[in-house]
Amino acid sequence: MGRISSNQIIALIMAAFSVAYLIGAYNIPAFPIPRPIDSDLIPKVLGFSMLVLSVILFFQRDKGEERDAAAQDTEETARHRRRVIEVLVTIVAVGVYAAVLRSAGFVLASALLVGGLAWFYGFRRIFWNIGVSIGVPLALYLIMTRGMDIFLPPGILPI
Amino acid sequence: MEAFDSLIYGFGIALQPGNIMYVFIGVLAGTIIGMLPGLGPISALALMIPITFSMDPASGLILMAGVYYGAIFGGSTSSILLNAPGVAGTVATSFDGYPLARQGKAGKALALAAYASFIGGTVSVIGLMLIAPSLASVAVSFGPAEYFALMVLGLTAVVSLSDKSLVKGLMAAVLGVMISIVGLDRQTGTERYTLDMLELVQGIDFLVVALGIFALGEVFAMLLAGDNGSHQRQKIGSLKLSRSEAKEIAGPVTRGSVLGFFVGVLPGAGATIASFLAYGMEKRIARDGDSFGKGNPKGVAAPESANNAACGGSFVPLLTLGVPGSGSTAVLLGALLVMGVTPGPLMLEQRPDVFWGVIASMYVGNIFLLLLNLPLIPLMARILEIPRPLLLSLIVLFCMIGVYGLKFSSFDLYLLLIFGILGLLMKLYGFPSAPLILALILGDLMEENMRRALQISNGDWMTFVNKPISLTLLIIAFLSLFLPMIIKPIRRRFAGKRQQPA
Repeated sequence: MGRISSNQIIALIMAAFSVAYLIGAYNIPAFPIPRPIDSDLIPKVLGFSMLVLSVILFFQRDKGEERDAAAQDTEETARHRRRVIEVLVTIVAVGVYAAVLRSAGFVLASALLVGGLAWFYGFRRIFWNIGVSIGVPLALYLIMTRGMDIFLPPGILPI
Repeated sequence: MEAFDSLIYGFGIALQPGNIMYVFIGVLAGTIIGMLPGLGPISALALMIPITFSMDPASGLILMAGVYYGAIFGGSTSSILLNAPGVAGTVATSFDGYPLARQGKAGKALALAAYASFIGGTVSVIGLMLIAPSLASVAVSFGPAEYFALMVLGLTAVVSLSDKSLVKGLMAAVLGVMISIVGLDRQTGTERYTLDMLELVQGIDFLVVALGIFALGEVFAMLLAGDNGSHQRQKIGSLKLSRSEAKEIAGPVTRGSVLGFFVGVLPGAGATIASFLAYGMEKRIARDGDSFGKGNPKGVAAPESANNAACGGSFVPLLTLGVPGSGSTAVLLGALLVMGVTPGPLMLEQRPDVFWGVIASMYVGNIFLLLLNLPLIPLMARILEIPRPLLLSLIVLFCMIGVYGLKFSSFDLYLLLIFGILGLLMKLYGFPSAPLILALILGDLMEENMRRALQISNGDWMTFVNKPISLTLLIIAFLSLFLPMIIKPIRRRFAGKRQQPA
């Protein structure tokens, strides 16, 4: 009995998702006036299709598995961990940006996002970093709010 | 003759000073954005939509069209100089473009790309001008059943032509349709999968998904691949082509242009497939096929002419049927709808200014592409020297602005993040993203047309096979999906038999 492949894990996740999706489809209320097809038909078709595809994927031979395993050996290094951390930090940074955009304002939030991420990714030219991370958001803010009448939150800065 | 008169009318619109400026801005912006790894034509077009909100539809589409083919061309620069294609359609260009650059012939490769793109683009505009009006006159007779079948074909073509697993392609397409039906059912007003969230009642905007999967997901993937070091300046070298070189590439460029245009017209195909097909075809027929991948000029000329020709070709289904054949034209369709223009067979009659203005602007745009790119190549190549850490963080910011500008909703930014993670996972586990984005755009329209067709036929499902056009399209869709599965084992068996006697 070999170990479970990444495709099989994905297939199981997608199958569970399909079941949840189908439960949602069966809970879509019927339209009072009879129609050839109601709002629930397509979701049911989609849910069953995804379930069938997940089953096929589960039993399909995973051609990339051997390569993946080999790759995993070399990827288990400090550099790989560092890259994963970079992705995770970017995800958190984007989440925080979305949370504070309104209160902190576009320019401040964007400057911190650009400057902070660039520094974290390894850009150590500090003056360039500060210049670009403030200059680009400020220019975009002025162009969009003054030139194109697109609202962007000013936040705590008096601009 | 009628087409010629209409083209003159189109030139009258395209050559207005304002529109010339829009073509120039579009081509320039598209080229620059296309050069940046991570930002392809979809992201470029998506980022431009807010700018076109208040514009006249003809000018808006002229600008967007410029961005589109500029981005396709721009991608070739980063492919050649960095081996980092900014756009999927220029991946094939890097196979020989980058080796040429390594040999100190970057200028030659870039010039080849510029000339090939110009010819490919021009051939496609001529094709578009000749084919579009006749196709539009046929499409006038299309009913909901035919449109449904056409969309099914578009979707299956994208799934079957994606180089990854068929099952995974289908799963991506199903997921795309699932995302498209979130929100209010337009026919019954019933809420579907809104999870009681007010923000989801209007559905999930395609721009959020497109920027999430194609731009933010790409940033995550680049970070994970560890590709965030800055690049060294490349020596550009001479931009001149000798007469023998021009003669050598004449054939590949002509074949690539014609092939590219027809591939572009097909729903689901597009620049990427066109460029790979043209590259493969030239490699097969060339006497020096062995040198492909090592810096053969034909390996740059063929995919470059094909991808730009496909770009023009993809306007045929968009403008005449109102059905986008690719993710990029789907974004263009979205932009047109925002401007109050519904592309389709009646567009030629109702909005000839938009139709012919865009076609004429493509001629102008192609000339701009050539004039802009040849002298500016050394200058523009410096954009690629922007340190990667700074570039990646700026791409993240551009994604956020593009999405936030839609509805000024922070909720959309969280959705963007979710789709960015989804894009990364799809990339990591070999799921093609093109079927998802096309299904997202077509899903809603497919359901609407299917239900309309059934309404007309009183719920008789045979309506889809009783109509000849619809039946033909469905058969082609079926074959496009399953024929490769049937052909592969037969080919293998034949190959096995052929090897046995040896």
